[in-house]
Amino acid sequence: MQGIISGRELRVLLATIVVVGLILFPIYWMVVTAHLPTTLVLSRTPPLLPPLNEMSFDAFGRALLRRPFLVWMGNTLIVAIGSTVLSLVIATLAGYSLSRYRSKMQEYSGLALLVSKMLPGSLIVIPFFIMASRAGMIDSRFALILANTSVGVPFATWMMKGYFDAIPREIDAAATIDGCSRLQALWYVVMPIARPGLTAAAIYLFIVAWADFVFARTLINSPDLWTLTTGLASFVGEHGVDWPGLMAAGTLSMVPIFILFVLLEPYLVSGMAAGAVK
Amino acid sequence: MDNDRGFALALLAPALICVLGLVGWPMVQIVTFSLVEGKGLNVLETAGRIWGLGNYVSVLTDSETWESVLTTLLYVVGSVAPAFVLGMLVALLLNQQFPLRRALRCLALLPWAAPGVLVSIIFLWLFDPSYGVVNYLLRVTGISNADIGWFTNEDTALIAVLIPSIWKSFPFFALTILGALQTIPEDLYEAADIDGANKLQSFFHVTWPGVRGPAILAIVLNSLWALREFDIIFATTGGGPFRATETLGIRAYTEAFSFFELGRASTLGVLTIAMALFFVLIARRPLQKEFF
Repeated sequence: MQGIISGRELRVLLATIVVVGLILFPIYWMVVTAHLPTTLVLSRTPPLLPPLNEMSFDAFGRALLRRPFLVWMGNTLIVAIGSTVLSLVIATLAGYSLSRYRSKMQEYSGLALLVSKMLPGSLIVIPFFIMASRAGMIDSRFALILANTSVGVPFATWMMKGYFDAIPREIDAAATIDGCSRLQALWYVVMPIARPGLTAAAIYLFIVAWADFVFARTLINSPDLWTLTTGLASFVGEHGVDWPGLMAAGTLSMVPIFILFVLLEPYLVSGMAAGAVK
Repeated sequence: MDNDRGFALALLAPALICVLGLVGWPMVQIVTFSLVEGKGLNVLETAGRIWGLGNYVSVLTDSETWESVLTTLLYVVGSVAPAFVLGMLVALLLNQQFPLRRALRCLALLPWAAPGVLVSIIFLWLFDPSYGVVNYLLRVTGISNADIGWFTNEDTALIAVLIPSIWKSFPFFALTILGALQTIPEDLYEAADIDGANKLQSFFHVTWPGVRGPAILAIVLNSLWALREFDIIFATTGGGPFRATETLGIRAYTEAFSFFELGRASTLGVLTIAMALFFVLIARRPLQKEFF
Protein backbone atom coordinates (compact mmCIF):
# COMPACT_ATOMS: atom_id res chain seq x y z
CA MET A 1 0.00 0.00 0.00
CA GLN A 2 3.03 2.30 -0.08
CA GLY A 3 2.47 5.56 -1.90
CA ILE A 4 -1.29 5.15 -1.82
CA ILE A 5 -3.35 7.01 0.74
CA SER A 6 -5.60 4.65 2.64
CA GLY A 7 -9.30 5.44 3.00
CA ARG A 8 -8.87 6.12 6.68
CA GLU A 9 -5.97 8.52 6.11
CA LEU A 10 -8.03 10.36 3.52
CA ARG A 11 -10.94 10.76 5.93
CA VAL A 12 -8.63 12.08 8.67
CA LEU A 13 -7.00 14.43 6.17
CA LEU A 14 -10.35 15.85 5.07
CA ALA A 15 -11.58 16.22 8.66
CA THR A 16 -8.35 18.00 9.60
CA ILE A 17 -8.60 20.35 6.62
CA VAL A 18 -12.14 21.32 7.65
CA VAL A 19 -11.11 21.88 11.29
CA VAL A 20 -8.00 23.87 10.35
CA GLY A 21 -10.10 25.90 7.91
CA LEU A 22 -12.53 26.84 10.68
CA ILE A 23 -9.69 27.66 13.07
CA LEU A 24 -7.95 29.87 10.55
CA PHE A 25 -11.10 31.64 9.36
CA PRO A 26 -10.35 34.79 11.44
CA ILE A 27 -6.88 35.07 9.90
CA TYR A 28 -8.27 34.30 6.43
CA TRP A 29 -10.86 37.04 6.88
CA MET A 30 -8.20 39.55 7.96
CA VAL A 31 -6.14 38.82 4.83
CA VAL A 32 -9.19 38.93 2.51
CA THR A 33 -10.44 42.21 4.01
CA ALA A 34 -7.00 43.72 3.54
CA HIS A 35 -7.27 43.07 -0.20
CA LEU A 36 -10.83 44.30 -0.77
CA PRO A 37 -11.91 47.78 -1.88
CA THR A 38 -13.79 49.75 0.80
CA THR A 39 -17.09 49.55 -1.13
CA LEU A 40 -17.11 45.76 -0.83
CA VAL A 41 -15.93 45.82 2.79
CA LEU A 42 -18.70 48.18 3.91
CA SER A 43 -21.37 45.98 2.43
CA ARG A 44 -24.22 44.12 4.08
CA THR A 45 -23.37 41.04 2.01
CA PRO A 46 -19.58 40.65 2.15
CA PRO A 47 -18.15 38.12 -0.35
CA LEU A 48 -16.99 35.03 1.57
CA LEU A 49 -14.82 33.97 -1.33
CA PRO A 50 -12.75 36.90 -2.55
CA PRO A 51 -13.70 38.23 -6.02
CA LEU A 52 -10.28 37.99 -7.63
CA ASN A 53 -10.85 40.77 -10.18
CA GLU A 54 -11.59 43.31 -7.44
CA MET A 55 -8.67 42.49 -5.19
CA SER A 56 -6.15 45.26 -4.71
CA PHE A 57 -3.19 46.23 -2.57
CA ASP A 58 -4.43 49.80 -1.97
CA ALA A 59 -5.05 49.15 1.71
CA PHE A 60 -1.43 48.14 2.21
CA GLY A 61 -0.34 51.44 0.67
CA ARG A 62 -2.65 53.35 3.02
CA ALA A 63 -1.41 51.40 6.03
CA LEU A 64 2.18 52.20 5.18
CA LEU A 65 1.70 55.85 4.16
CA ARG A 66 -1.10 57.32 6.27
CA ARG A 67 0.07 55.75 9.49
CA PRO A 68 3.65 55.56 10.78
CA PHE A 69 3.44 51.80 10.40
CA LEU A 70 7.12 51.38 9.54
CA VAL A 71 8.11 53.48 12.58
CA TRP A 72 6.02 51.22 14.84
CA MET A 73 7.53 48.15 13.26
CA GLY A 74 11.05 49.55 13.72
CA ASN A 75 10.35 50.30 17.40
CA THR A 76 8.93 46.82 17.92
CA LEU A 77 11.99 45.28 16.25
CA ILE A 78 14.40 47.26 18.45
CA VAL A 79 12.56 46.33 21.65
CA ALA A 80 11.98 42.70 20.67
CA ILE A 81 15.57 42.10 19.55
CA GLY A 82 16.99 43.97 22.55
CA SER A 83 14.99 42.05 25.10
CA THR A 84 15.51 38.72 23.30
CA VAL A 85 19.30 39.11 23.32
CA LEU A 86 19.40 40.34 26.92
CA SER A 87 17.04 37.62 28.19
CA LEU A 88 18.85 34.92 26.24
CA VAL A 89 22.30 35.78 27.64
CA ILE A 90 21.02 35.96 31.22
CA ALA A 91 18.86 32.86 30.85
CA THR A 92 21.58 30.74 29.22
CA LEU A 93 24.02 31.39 32.05
CA ALA A 94 21.36 30.79 34.69
CA GLY A 95 19.96 27.71 32.94
CA TYR A 96 23.46 26.22 32.74
CA SER A 97 24.06 26.93 36.40
CA LEU A 98 20.74 25.34 37.42
CA SER A 99 21.43 22.32 35.23
CA ARG A 100 25.02 21.64 36.37
CA TYR A 101 25.22 22.66 40.02
CA ARG A 102 23.12 21.56 42.97
CA SER A 103 22.95 23.58 46.16
CA LYS A 104 20.35 25.26 48.34
CA MET A 105 21.06 28.47 46.41
CA GLN A 106 20.23 26.82 43.09
CA GLU A 107 17.07 25.33 44.54
CA TYR A 108 15.76 28.64 45.87
CA SER A 109 16.70 30.47 42.68
CA GLY A 110 14.94 27.86 40.58
CA LEU A 111 11.85 28.27 42.72
CA ALA A 112 11.99 32.06 42.56
CA LEU A 113 12.21 31.86 38.76
CA LEU A 114 9.28 29.46 38.66
CA VAL A 115 7.11 31.69 40.83
CA SER A 116 7.94 34.83 38.86
CA LYS A 117 6.98 32.95 35.69
CA MET A 118 3.45 32.80 37.10
CA LEU A 119 3.04 36.43 38.13
CA PRO A 120 4.19 39.10 35.67
CA GLY A 121 2.29 41.19 33.14
CA SER A 122 -0.64 43.35 34.10
CA LEU A 123 0.14 42.96 37.82
CA ILE A 124 3.68 44.29 37.95
CA VAL A 125 3.08 47.05 35.43
CA ILE A 126 1.80 49.41 38.14
CA PRO A 127 4.93 49.36 40.32
CA PHE A 128 7.01 49.16 37.16
CA PHE A 129 5.47 52.41 35.95
CA ILE A 130 6.22 54.09 39.29
CA MET A 131 9.81 52.85 39.24
CA ALA A 132 10.25 54.05 35.67
CA SER A 133 8.80 57.50 36.39
CA ARG A 134 11.01 57.92 39.46
CA ALA A 135 14.02 56.96 37.37
CA GLY A 136 12.93 59.33 34.59
CA MET A 137 12.62 56.38 32.23
CA ILE A 138 9.13 56.93 30.84
CA ASP A 139 9.28 57.00 27.05
CA SER A 140 12.48 55.02 27.15
CA ARG A 141 12.96 52.02 24.90
CA PHE A 142 15.48 50.71 27.41
CA ALA A 143 12.83 50.59 30.18
CA LEU A 144 10.57 48.68 27.77
CA ILE A 145 13.40 46.24 26.99
CA LEU A 146 13.97 45.70 30.73
CA ALA A 147 10.25 45.12 31.30
CA ASN A 148 10.12 42.50 28.56
CA THR A 149 13.30 40.94 29.93
CA SER A 150 11.65 40.51 33.32
CA VAL A 151 8.99 38.40 31.62
CA GLY A 152 11.41 36.56 29.34
CA VAL A 153 14.17 35.50 31.72
CA PRO A 154 12.14 33.13 33.95
CA PHE A 155 10.66 31.39 30.91
CA ALA A 156 13.87 31.09 28.97
CA THR A 157 15.91 29.96 31.99
CA TRP A 158 13.69 26.93 32.48
CA MET A 159 13.71 26.22 28.76
CA MET A 160 17.52 26.35 28.64
CA LYS A 161 17.87 24.25 31.79
CA GLY A 162 15.80 21.58 30.06
CA TYR A 163 18.09 21.59 27.03
CA PHE A 164 21.29 21.59 29.11
CA ASP A 165 19.96 18.68 31.19
CA ALA A 166 19.82 16.63 27.98
CA ILE A 167 23.57 17.21 27.36
CA PRO A 168 25.76 14.74 29.30
CA ARG A 169 27.98 16.32 31.97
CA GLU A 170 30.89 14.19 30.79
CA ILE A 171 31.21 16.49 27.80
CA ASP A 172 31.95 19.54 30.00
CA ALA A 173 34.25 17.43 32.16
CA ALA A 174 36.22 16.20 29.16
CA ALA A 175 36.63 19.76 27.91
CA THR A 176 37.97 21.01 31.25
CA ILE A 177 40.42 18.11 31.42
CA ASP A 178 41.62 19.10 27.96
CA GLY A 179 42.50 22.51 29.42
CA CYS A 180 39.40 24.60 28.85
CA SER A 181 38.26 26.90 31.63
CA ARG A 182 34.67 26.25 32.71
CA LEU A 183 33.46 29.29 30.80
CA GLN A 184 35.35 28.17 27.71
CA ALA A 185 33.86 24.69 28.05
CA LEU A 186 30.39 26.26 28.11
CA TRP A 187 31.09 28.53 25.17
CA TYR A 188 33.08 26.24 22.84
CA VAL A 189 31.78 22.79 23.71
CA VAL A 190 28.33 22.92 25.31
CA MET A 191 26.82 25.86 23.44
CA PRO A 192 27.27 24.40 19.94
CA ILE A 193 25.42 21.27 21.08
CA ALA A 194 22.70 23.36 22.72
CA ARG A 195 22.20 25.46 19.59
CA PRO A 196 18.75 24.00 18.69
CA GLY A 197 17.56 24.81 22.20
CA LEU A 198 19.06 28.26 21.99
CA THR A 199 17.26 28.88 18.70
CA ALA A 200 13.95 27.70 20.12
CA ALA A 201 14.33 29.90 23.21
CA ALA A 202 15.29 32.92 21.07
CA ILE A 203 12.27 32.53 18.79
CA TYR A 204 10.02 32.03 21.79
CA LEU A 205 11.35 35.17 23.50
CA PHE A 206 11.00 37.17 20.30
CA ILE A 207 7.36 36.13 19.78
CA VAL A 208 6.50 37.06 23.39
CA ALA A 209 8.24 40.44 23.20
CA TRP A 210 6.65 41.18 19.79
CA ALA A 211 3.20 40.65 21.32
CA ASP A 212 3.74 42.84 24.40
CA PHE A 213 1.02 45.43 24.85
CA VAL A 214 0.63 46.20 28.54
CA PHE A 215 4.21 47.46 29.05
CA ALA A 216 4.36 49.35 25.76
CA ARG A 217 1.06 51.09 26.43
CA THR A 218 1.99 52.05 29.98
CA LEU A 219 5.68 52.95 29.71
CA ILE A 220 5.54 54.77 26.36
CA ASN A 221 3.60 57.99 25.76
CA SER A 222 5.17 59.57 22.70
CA PRO A 223 3.62 58.29 19.43
CA ASP A 224 7.08 58.26 17.82
CA LEU A 225 8.04 55.46 20.17
CA TRP A 226 4.84 53.42 19.88
CA THR A 227 5.19 49.76 19.05
CA LEU A 228 3.00 47.81 16.62
CA THR A 229 0.59 46.71 19.33
CA THR A 230 0.01 50.21 20.73
CA GLY A 231 -0.24 51.50 17.17
CA LEU A 232 -2.83 48.91 16.16
CA ALA A 233 -4.80 49.45 19.37
CA SER A 234 -4.97 53.18 18.64
CA PHE A 235 -7.32 52.43 15.71
CA VAL A 236 -9.93 50.92 18.04
CA GLY A 237 -12.81 53.19 18.93
CA GLU A 238 -12.06 55.61 16.11
CA HIS A 239 -15.09 56.77 14.21
CA GLY A 240 -15.29 55.16 10.79
CA VAL A 241 -12.38 52.76 11.14
CA ASP A 242 -10.54 52.07 7.87
CA TRP A 243 -11.00 48.31 8.16
CA PRO A 244 -9.07 47.28 5.02
CA GLY A 245 -6.19 49.53 6.12
CA LEU A 246 -6.25 48.14 9.64
CA MET A 247 -6.42 44.55 8.39
CA ALA A 248 -3.53 45.26 6.01
CA ALA A 249 -1.47 46.59 8.94
CA GLY A 250 -2.48 43.51 10.94
CA THR A 251 -1.48 41.18 8.12
CA LEU A 252 1.92 42.85 7.77
CA SER A 253 2.54 42.67 11.52
CA MET A 254 1.73 38.95 11.47
CA VAL A 255 4.17 38.01 8.68
CA PRO A 256 7.41 37.89 10.72
CA ILE A 257 5.65 36.00 13.50
CA PHE A 258 4.23 33.52 11.03
CA ILE A 259 7.70 32.76 9.63
CA LEU A 260 9.20 32.39 13.11
CA PHE A 261 6.34 30.19 14.24
CA VAL A 262 6.89 27.79 11.33
CA LEU A 263 10.53 27.51 12.47
CA LEU A 264 9.61 27.10 16.15
CA GLU A 265 6.68 24.70 15.87
CA PRO A 266 8.62 21.39 15.80
CA TYR A 267 10.44 22.39 19.01
CA LEU A 268 7.17 23.36 20.64
CA VAL A 269 5.47 20.00 20.22
CA SER A 270 8.38 18.02 21.60
CA GLY A 271 9.44 20.68 24.09
CA MET A 272 6.13 21.63 25.71
CA ALA A 273 5.67 18.23 27.29
CA ALA A 274 9.34 17.80 28.13
CA GLY A 275 11.07 20.80 29.63
CA ALA A 276 9.59 24.03 28.41
CA VAL A 277 6.50 24.00 30.60
CA LYS A 278 7.78 22.29 33.70
CA MET B 1 34.41 22.95 45.65
CA ASP B 2 34.17 26.51 46.97
CA ASN B 3 35.37 27.70 43.63
CA ASP B 4 32.64 25.69 41.92
CA ARG B 5 29.99 27.28 44.09
CA GLY B 6 31.32 30.73 43.23
CA PHE B 7 31.18 29.94 39.52
CA ALA B 8 27.64 28.55 39.79
CA LEU B 9 26.53 31.66 41.65
CA ALA B 10 28.24 34.01 39.20
CA LEU B 11 26.32 32.39 36.34
CA LEU B 12 23.07 32.77 38.27
CA ALA B 13 23.67 36.32 39.47
CA PRO B 14 22.29 38.23 36.44
CA ALA B 15 19.08 36.19 36.48
CA LEU B 16 18.71 36.69 40.23
CA ILE B 17 19.23 40.44 39.91
CA CYS B 18 16.65 40.44 37.14
CA VAL B 19 14.08 38.47 39.11
CA LEU B 20 14.62 40.32 42.39
CA GLY B 21 14.79 43.76 40.79
CA LEU B 22 12.17 43.47 38.10
CA VAL B 23 9.67 41.06 39.66
CA GLY B 24 10.37 40.79 43.41
CA TRP B 25 10.81 44.48 44.15
CA PRO B 26 7.67 45.51 42.22
CA MET B 27 5.73 42.90 44.23
CA VAL B 28 7.06 44.39 47.49
CA GLN B 29 6.02 47.81 46.18
CA ILE B 30 2.46 46.62 45.47
CA VAL B 31 2.06 45.27 48.99
CA THR B 32 3.61 48.42 50.47
CA PHE B 33 1.33 50.82 48.59
CA SER B 34 -1.72 48.77 49.52
CA LEU B 35 -0.87 49.21 53.21
CA VAL B 36 -0.38 52.99 53.18
CA GLU B 37 -3.24 55.29 54.17
CA GLY B 38 -4.00 57.97 51.63
CA LYS B 39 -5.80 58.78 48.46
CA GLY B 40 -4.60 59.14 44.89
CA LEU B 41 -0.89 59.60 44.42
CA ASN B 42 -0.28 60.34 48.12
CA VAL B 43 0.71 56.73 48.75
CA LEU B 44 3.92 57.45 46.83
CA GLU B 45 5.12 59.94 49.48
CA THR B 46 7.70 58.24 51.64
CA ALA B 47 7.80 61.00 54.24
CA GLY B 48 5.22 60.82 57.03
CA ARG B 49 3.67 57.56 55.86
CA ILE B 50 0.78 56.25 57.92
CA TRP B 51 0.31 52.52 57.71
CA GLY B 52 -3.18 51.10 57.78
CA LEU B 53 -5.77 48.94 56.18
CA GLY B 54 -7.82 51.80 54.74
CA ASN B 55 -7.36 50.62 51.16
CA TYR B 56 -8.46 47.12 52.03
CA VAL B 57 -11.57 48.39 53.80
CA SER B 58 -12.40 50.66 50.87
CA VAL B 59 -11.82 47.94 48.25
CA LEU B 60 -13.44 45.04 50.09
CA THR B 61 -16.59 46.98 51.03
CA ASP B 62 -17.03 48.16 47.44
CA SER B 63 -19.70 46.02 45.76
CA GLU B 64 -18.04 46.73 42.40
CA THR B 65 -14.97 44.79 43.57
CA TRP B 66 -17.07 41.69 44.10
CA GLU B 67 -18.72 42.13 40.73
CA SER B 68 -15.22 42.16 39.25
CA VAL B 69 -14.30 39.04 41.22
CA LEU B 70 -17.34 37.30 39.72
CA THR B 71 -16.49 38.54 36.21
CA THR B 72 -12.93 37.28 36.68
CA LEU B 73 -14.15 33.82 37.71
CA LEU B 74 -16.58 33.70 34.76
CA TYR B 75 -13.79 34.77 32.43
CA VAL B 76 -11.32 32.17 33.75
CA VAL B 77 -13.77 29.26 33.67
CA GLY B 78 -15.42 30.43 30.45
CA SER B 79 -12.14 30.66 28.57
CA VAL B 80 -10.13 27.77 30.05
CA ALA B 81 -12.80 25.03 29.93
CA PRO B 82 -13.76 25.42 26.23
CA ALA B 83 -10.11 25.97 25.26
CA PHE B 84 -9.17 22.73 27.01
CA VAL B 85 -11.91 20.72 25.24
CA LEU B 86 -11.07 22.26 21.86
CA GLY B 87 -7.34 21.75 22.43
CA MET B 88 -7.88 18.11 23.35
CA LEU B 89 -10.00 17.44 20.22
CA VAL B 90 -7.48 19.17 17.95
CA ALA B 91 -4.60 17.26 19.56
CA LEU B 92 -6.37 13.91 19.08
CA LEU B 93 -7.01 14.78 15.43
CA LEU B 94 -3.43 15.94 14.79
CA ASN B 95 -1.96 12.84 16.43
CA GLN B 96 -3.38 10.63 13.64
CA GLN B 97 -1.37 9.53 10.65
CA PHE B 98 -2.26 11.42 7.46
CA PRO B 99 -0.49 13.21 4.63
CA LEU B 100 0.47 16.91 5.07
CA ARG B 101 0.33 16.33 8.80
CA ARG B 102 3.26 18.59 9.66
CA ALA B 103 1.93 21.56 7.63
CA LEU B 104 -1.63 21.25 8.94
CA ARG B 105 -0.39 20.90 12.52
CA CYS B 106 1.61 24.09 12.13
CA LEU B 107 -1.40 26.00 10.75
CA ALA B 108 -3.80 24.72 13.43
CA LEU B 109 -1.52 26.00 16.19
CA LEU B 110 -0.88 29.42 14.63
CA PRO B 111 -3.37 31.40 16.79
CA TRP B 112 -1.02 30.83 19.74
CA ALA B 113 1.58 33.09 18.14
CA ALA B 114 -0.78 35.94 17.21
CA PRO B 115 -0.31 38.98 19.49
CA GLY B 116 -3.33 39.61 21.76
CA VAL B 117 -3.95 43.07 20.33
CA LEU B 118 -4.01 41.71 16.78
CA VAL B 119 -6.44 38.99 17.85
CA SER B 120 -8.64 41.71 19.41
CA ILE B 121 -8.70 43.75 16.22
CA ILE B 122 -9.50 40.74 14.03
CA PHE B 123 -12.44 39.77 16.25
CA LEU B 124 -13.71 43.35 16.54
CA TRP B 125 -13.99 43.27 12.76
CA LEU B 126 -15.54 39.78 12.60
CA PHE B 127 -18.14 40.88 15.18
CA ASP B 128 -18.76 44.37 13.79
CA PRO B 129 -22.52 45.12 14.18
CA SER B 130 -23.23 46.35 10.64
CA TYR B 131 -20.50 44.94 8.40
CA GLY B 132 -19.16 42.03 10.45
CA VAL B 133 -19.14 38.62 8.84
CA VAL B 134 -20.59 36.94 11.96
CA ASN B 135 -23.79 38.99 11.89
CA TYR B 136 -23.90 38.47 8.10
CA LEU B 137 -23.76 34.68 8.57
CA LEU B 138 -26.47 34.90 11.24
CA ARG B 139 -28.66 36.87 8.78
CA VAL B 140 -28.05 34.48 5.87
CA THR B 141 -28.80 31.41 7.96
CA GLY B 142 -31.91 33.08 9.37
CA ILE B 143 -30.72 32.77 12.97
CA SER B 144 -30.86 36.47 13.78
CA ASN B 145 -31.65 39.58 11.82
CA ALA B 146 -30.68 41.98 14.58
CA ASP B 147 -27.39 43.81 14.11
CA ILE B 148 -25.98 42.52 17.38
CA GLY B 149 -23.33 44.82 18.83
CA TRP B 150 -21.39 41.93 20.31
CA PHE B 151 -18.75 43.99 22.09
CA THR B 152 -20.97 47.00 22.92
CA ASN B 153 -24.01 45.19 24.28
CA GLU B 154 -23.97 44.55 28.02
CA ASP B 155 -25.45 41.06 27.62
CA THR B 156 -23.13 39.77 24.90
CA ALA B 157 -19.86 41.56 25.73
CA LEU B 158 -18.48 38.84 28.00
CA ILE B 159 -19.18 36.13 25.40
CA ALA B 160 -17.64 38.34 22.72
CA VAL B 161 -14.48 38.72 24.83
CA LEU B 162 -14.36 34.99 25.63
CA ILE B 163 -14.38 33.85 21.99
CA PRO B 164 -11.05 35.47 20.96
CA SER B 165 -9.58 34.39 24.33
CA ILE B 166 -10.50 30.76 23.64
CA TRP B 167 -9.23 31.04 20.06
CA LYS B 168 -5.86 32.29 21.25
CA SER B 169 -5.42 29.87 24.16
CA PHE B 170 -6.59 26.50 22.78
CA PRO B 171 -3.34 25.86 20.83
CA PHE B 172 -1.39 25.79 24.10
CA PHE B 173 -3.57 22.89 25.27
CA ALA B 174 -3.28 21.21 21.88
CA LEU B 175 0.54 21.58 21.96
CA THR B 176 0.87 20.24 25.50
CA ILE B 177 -1.50 17.33 24.95
CA LEU B 178 -0.01 16.52 21.54
CA GLY B 179 3.45 16.34 23.11
CA ALA B 180 2.11 13.93 25.74
CA LEU B 181 0.16 11.84 23.19
CA GLN B 182 3.35 11.17 21.29
CA THR B 183 4.87 9.54 24.36
CA ILE B 184 2.07 6.92 24.64
CA PRO B 185 3.39 3.64 23.16
CA GLU B 186 1.37 2.26 20.25
CA ASP B 187 1.35 -1.21 21.92
CA LEU B 188 -1.02 0.04 24.62
CA TYR B 189 -3.67 0.86 22.02
CA GLU B 190 -3.11 -2.51 20.34
CA ALA B 191 -3.45 -4.28 23.68
CA ALA B 192 -6.66 -2.37 24.43
CA ASP B 193 -7.92 -3.28 20.98
CA ILE B 194 -7.16 -6.99 21.53
CA ASP B 195 -8.93 -6.83 24.89
CA GLY B 196 -12.01 -5.62 23.03
CA ALA B 197 -12.02 -2.01 24.22
CA ASN B 198 -14.03 0.42 22.11
CA LYS B 199 -12.82 3.90 21.13
CA LEU B 200 -14.26 5.59 24.23
CA GLN B 201 -12.88 2.94 26.58
CA SER B 202 -9.41 3.15 25.07
CA PHE B 203 -9.56 6.94 25.42
CA PHE B 204 -10.35 6.74 29.15
CA HIS B 205 -8.01 3.85 29.94
CA VAL B 206 -5.06 4.52 27.65
CA THR B 207 -5.11 8.09 26.30
CA TRP B 208 -6.28 10.03 29.37
CA PRO B 209 -3.84 8.43 31.86
CA GLY B 210 -1.06 9.24 29.38
CA VAL B 211 -1.90 12.93 29.03
CA ARG B 212 -3.38 13.67 32.47
CA GLY B 213 -0.24 15.13 34.03
CA PRO B 214 0.62 17.67 31.33
CA ALA B 215 -3.10 18.41 30.82
CA ILE B 216 -3.62 19.32 34.49
CA LEU B 217 -0.50 21.46 34.50
CA ALA B 218 -1.73 23.22 31.35
CA ILE B 219 -5.12 23.88 32.97
CA VAL B 220 -3.47 25.40 36.05
CA LEU B 221 -1.07 27.55 34.01
CA ASN B 222 -3.84 28.72 31.69
CA SER B 223 -6.11 29.58 34.62
CA LEU B 224 -3.33 31.71 36.08
CA TRP B 225 -2.80 33.40 32.72
CA ALA B 226 -6.54 33.95 32.22
CA LEU B 227 -6.72 35.45 35.71
CA ARG B 228 -4.38 38.26 34.72
CA GLU B 229 -5.37 38.50 31.03
CA PHE B 230 -5.12 42.08 29.90
CA ASP B 231 -4.48 42.53 26.18
CA ILE B 232 -7.65 41.03 24.71
CA ILE B 233 -10.10 42.54 27.22
CA PHE B 234 -8.45 45.95 27.27
CA ALA B 235 -8.11 46.27 23.50
CA THR B 236 -11.68 45.16 22.73
CA THR B 237 -13.94 46.55 25.46
CA GLY B 238 -11.61 48.18 27.99
CA GLY B 239 -13.74 46.49 30.66
CA GLY B 240 -17.03 47.96 29.47
CA PRO B 241 -19.83 48.34 28.56
CA PHE B 242 -21.03 49.23 32.06
CA ARG B 243 -18.17 47.14 33.49
CA ALA B 244 -19.62 43.94 31.98
CA THR B 245 -16.12 42.65 31.15
CA GLU B 246 -14.17 44.33 33.97
CA THR B 247 -11.97 41.64 35.54
CA LEU B 248 -9.78 42.38 38.58
CA GLY B 249 -6.73 42.93 36.39
CA ILE B 250 -8.54 45.49 34.21
CA ARG B 251 -10.03 47.15 37.30
CA ALA B 252 -6.60 47.48 38.93
CA TYR B 253 -5.22 49.02 35.74
CA THR B 254 -8.10 51.47 35.45
CA GLU B 255 -7.80 52.52 39.11
CA ALA B 256 -4.09 53.14 38.59
CA PHE B 257 -3.94 54.80 35.19
CA SER B 258 -7.37 56.42 34.77
CA PHE B 259 -8.17 57.45 38.38
CA PHE B 260 -4.57 57.50 39.72
CA GLU B 261 -5.80 55.70 42.85
CA LEU B 262 -2.56 53.81 43.37
CA GLY B 263 -3.43 52.56 46.85
CA ARG B 264 -6.68 50.99 45.69
CA ALA B 265 -5.04 49.67 42.51
CA SER B 266 -2.28 47.99 44.53
CA THR B 267 -4.86 46.48 46.87
CA LEU B 268 -6.69 45.03 43.88
CA GLY B 269 -3.33 43.67 42.71
CA VAL B 270 -2.82 41.95 46.06
CA LEU B 271 -6.35 40.57 45.76
CA THR B 272 -5.52 39.16 42.32
CA ILE B 273 -2.38 37.51 43.67
CA ALA B 274 -4.48 36.06 46.51
CA MET B 275 -6.89 34.65 43.93
CA ALA B 276 -3.98 33.13 42.00
CA LEU B 277 -2.69 31.50 45.20
CA PHE B 278 -6.21 30.22 45.89
CA PHE B 279 -6.24 28.59 42.43
CA VAL B 280 -2.87 26.97 43.06
CA LEU B 281 -4.12 25.75 46.44
CA ILE B 282 -7.18 24.13 44.85
CA ALA B 283 -4.96 22.52 42.24
CA ARG B 284 -2.31 21.50 44.78
CA ARG B 285 -3.54 17.94 45.32
CA PRO B 286 -3.74 16.89 41.67
CA LEU B 287 -0.47 18.74 40.96
CA GLN B 288 1.29 16.98 43.82
CA LYS B 289 -0.10 13.65 42.71
CA GLU B 290 1.28 14.19 39.22
CA PHE B 291 4.63 15.79 39.86
CA PHE B 292 5.97 15.30 43.36
